[in-house]
Amino acid sequence: MAITEAEHGHDDHGHGPAVEGAENPGGEHESAFRRDQKERLLMWLLISGDAFFLVLELFTWFYLRALNTSGLWNGAACSKANPCTDGLGNPITSPITRANPVHGIIISVCAILAAAFIWMAESAAKRDAGRRAVAGAAGLGFLFLLAAIGVQIYQFQVIPFTTIDGAYASTYEFFMGSTLAHLILMAFIGLGLWLRASKGRYDGGTWYRVRIIRFFAVWIAVSTVILVAVGALFY
Amino acid sequence: MTTAVAPPLLEDTNLGPKAGGFYRHQTIWTGLGFGIFLGFVAWLVSHALLQGSNWGSDMVVTCTMVGWVLGFNIGMGTFNAPIRWMLGHDQTHEDELYAAGVGQGRYRYLKFCTDHKVVGTQYLILVMVLFGVGGTLAMMIRTQLITPHSSFLDPQTYNAIVTIHGMVMIIATIIMVSGPFANFIMPIMIGAKDMAFPRLNAMSFWVVASAVPCLLATFVLGGVNAGWTTYAPLSVQAPPAMDAFAITIIVFVVSVTIAGVNTIVTVVTMRAKGMTMGRLPIFTWGAVIGSALGLYAMPAFLAVMTMMITDRVTGTSFFVPQVGGAAWLYENIFWIMGHPEVYVILIPPVAAVLEIASTFARKPVFGYKVAVAGFVAIAALSIMVWAHHMFTTGWAPNLAAPFMLTTELISIPTGIIFLCTIGTMWKGSIWMRLPMWFVYLFIWNFIIGGVTGIYLSDVPADQFFHGDMFVTAHFHYTLLGGAMIGATAAVCYWFPKVSGRMLNERIGKVAFWMIAIGIQVTYFGMFWEGFQGMARRIAYYNPHYEAANQMATAGAYLLMAGWLVFLYMMISSWRHGKLAPANPWFAKTLEWKVPTPVPLENFLVDPVVTSDPYTWGEDVPDGQGIPESAPEPEPELVPAGQAGTSEPVDGGTV
Repeated sequence: MAITEAEHGHDDHGHGPAVEGAENPGGEHESAFRRDQKERLLMWLLISGDAFFLVLELFTWFYLRALNTSGLWNGAACSKANPCTDGLGNPITSPITRANPVHGIIISVCAILAAAFIWMAESAAKRDAGRRAVAGAAGLGFLFLLAAIGVQIYQFQVIPFTTIDGAYASTYEFFMGSTLAHLILMAFIGLGLWLRASKGRYDGGTWYRVRIIRFFAVWIAVSTVILVAVGALFY
Repeated sequence: MTTAVAPPLLEDTNLGPKAGGFYRHQTIWTGLGFGIFLGFVAWLVSHALLQGSNWGSDMVVTCTMVGWVLGFNIGMGTFNAPIRWMLGHDQTHEDELYAAGVGQGRYRYLKFCTDHKVVGTQYLILVMVLFGVGGTLAMMIRTQLITPHSSFLDPQTYNAIVTIHGMVMIIATIIMVSGPFANFIMPIMIGAKDMAFPRLNAMSFWVVASAVPCLLATFVLGGVNAGWTTYAPLSVQAPPAMDAFAITIIVFVVSVTIAGVNTIVTVVTMRAKGMTMGRLPIFTWGAVIGSALGLYAMPAFLAVMTMMITDRVTGTSFFVPQVGGAAWLYENIFWIMGHPEVYVILIPPVAAVLEIASTFARKPVFGYKVAVAGFVAIAALSIMVWAHHMFTTGWAPNLAAPFMLTTELISIPTGIIFLCTIGTMWKGSIWMRLPMWFVYLFIWNFIIGGVTGIYLSDVPADQFFHGDMFVTAHFHYTLLGGAMIGATAAVCYWFPKVSGRMLNERIGKVAFWMIAIGIQVTYFGMFWEGFQGMARRIAYYNPHYEAANQMATAGAYLLMAGWLVFLYMMISSWRHGKLAPANPWFAKTLEWKVPTPVPLENFLVDPVVTSDPYTWGEDVPDGQGIPESAPEPEPELVPAGQAGTSEPVDGGTV
């Protein structure tokens, strides 16, 4: 069900209901069309800002990797004869162990599945499939987000280096922290989506509000995949 | 501009006893209480668990600041709506009216209030407080520099004051126009009832308000002595105050991003019928372009400060060369933010100047479309010039010439904006009221700031001037003499609409001359210091520079006195000024077509725009467009501070 201006009684610019008393009940005294228009633009702008943050993360990775200051990008130039030093002044005599890519891949898969289930929730709401269908898909999406967060925290525990072990280790952990922060934010939104869907808040008339969340969920999945791929491929 | 009949607007002052929910119990006092409590708990816990570890002090300061910011915002009610949304408890219409401040009188200025006019006023007061703090620190700097070896401040304290003066002023100037006027005035200008996201709007204010104490706390945490740019590795080695500094910036970025996105969405989606993009008042264009540029610049600020704090708190090595980092990385990302940020500061006040020039010259904005294109070009070019701040660092010498070229190119659209301003005034019947005086001062100052900037973009000249007082004079002419004076013109122009009172222009003109002369004496003194070769950020100097420093300090005292007179004028006019009519300047844009004080949802009937915003000469008979004195107050005027809570005023057209 598409939202059209005519359907919601709007003027040429989509500004305000032209028909007296056409407002929604409750606290929302503006039309669905207007809300959707505003929230979509808000989300795209926020995603564009976040995308630039991601670009700067990647810039940091490739810049420090190319510069390889003191041979301490990943310690490849460090040896017993030519030791480097970590952040506490301890000698580093061998290359930093590479992070296991499996954790990143699992996190990426969870983020993709979470986005997919949120997309399914949107589809279910759009075709008026009922409260259970929407809440079920949203709940699964939320669960996969929790799983991704769990694996990300686990990776922090088992990663074979710490933040003080040079630029590769620092940037890799920064990527992990950034991913974790995004997943937590998405989980907050995902929990809200699930709880609200359980109360039957999303149907054929309000499906577009799930779409806004789906945009963000897809973005989270895409940015997670990019960070994981760079971390795994460019040691 | 004409109107169409529309449904009556809600202005209910009899809300139920439960309207507002938690908001009823939340004020700035609960915010302060929760903030201090949570900050203390965070300090207690982190001190017990982390103090003995590596970087323990930094972790404790970081946790305490984060605790304060979260606690303050929980206490203010910033997170009420997101949590209610998550739990599925949507706000009722009564809740929204309560949150908009209905029936709460002046108390709503101390609360989480969603009315854009209240948020704009809150921003205005915050900006004035920040300028007060920054100005006081500036006077301490100038007092130290009266004599070559003054004992007024020790070098450590001096450096800390220089740093915080810089950052307080940067924060204040970024929000000085986009905070008060893009909130209070701009939605009315485009015919909207409020900002697109009123709760986000209030959130942006209280989030930035919670950041200010973190910045001031740096003084009791050892001071940040790395300069406002906080270059690594100085900042990595600085006392724990640097952690509070970084938290301030991170929180500030969140606020500015929210506010900027809200501004853009408001203009794109909330315009009145007939308000096409080509009919937008020029100030609206400035606010939107400034916000869009901020959306590009602010993530860089967030990234660089996050990496900085992880270097300090977790031992990462982004900026420490001994362990694989690079100080150049800091400088690159910082200036990827830093130069666009200059235009985030400048574009909105310059656009306000064009707006004011048009009104008082009784002419349309000259080259309206060219001016808009000029703003866009400035914004686009500003993201390609960052490395001109790094000419002397040795980073990528081969790129010096391209960056010199892009920097010099930016003077072309800037010059076009100048021509538009002068063209707007050219042969106009200029009505010399206080805002217009400041427009003239803006033009004078900004020309000096702009021309001296061209010298600094030139690589050989920059090799000589870099790091000396010439640079300081240049950017003060640009940011204070240009942007801040433009913002002052905006304050004078929109004060009657914001406060419901007219400014006392006799006092205002005294302030004007003190400020105008003070700026020239202060910053010409600094140019003189720079030509002689005096370095920036030094507490003691060679006696050779004494005369120039005394000139600058004398000017600074005059300048500060001028601002104090201006402040007195604002406060006294706000309390006792002559009541302002709805349109004291006979201006054409929509904000002057609504009653003063402005009703809760701005328009009593939905406006329909049928013409351009600057139709001078079309409907004003020859010789009658410019009254010789301010018009008499309209009947039934309401005193200041009541905006938004008055009963609806009848009226069929605006």
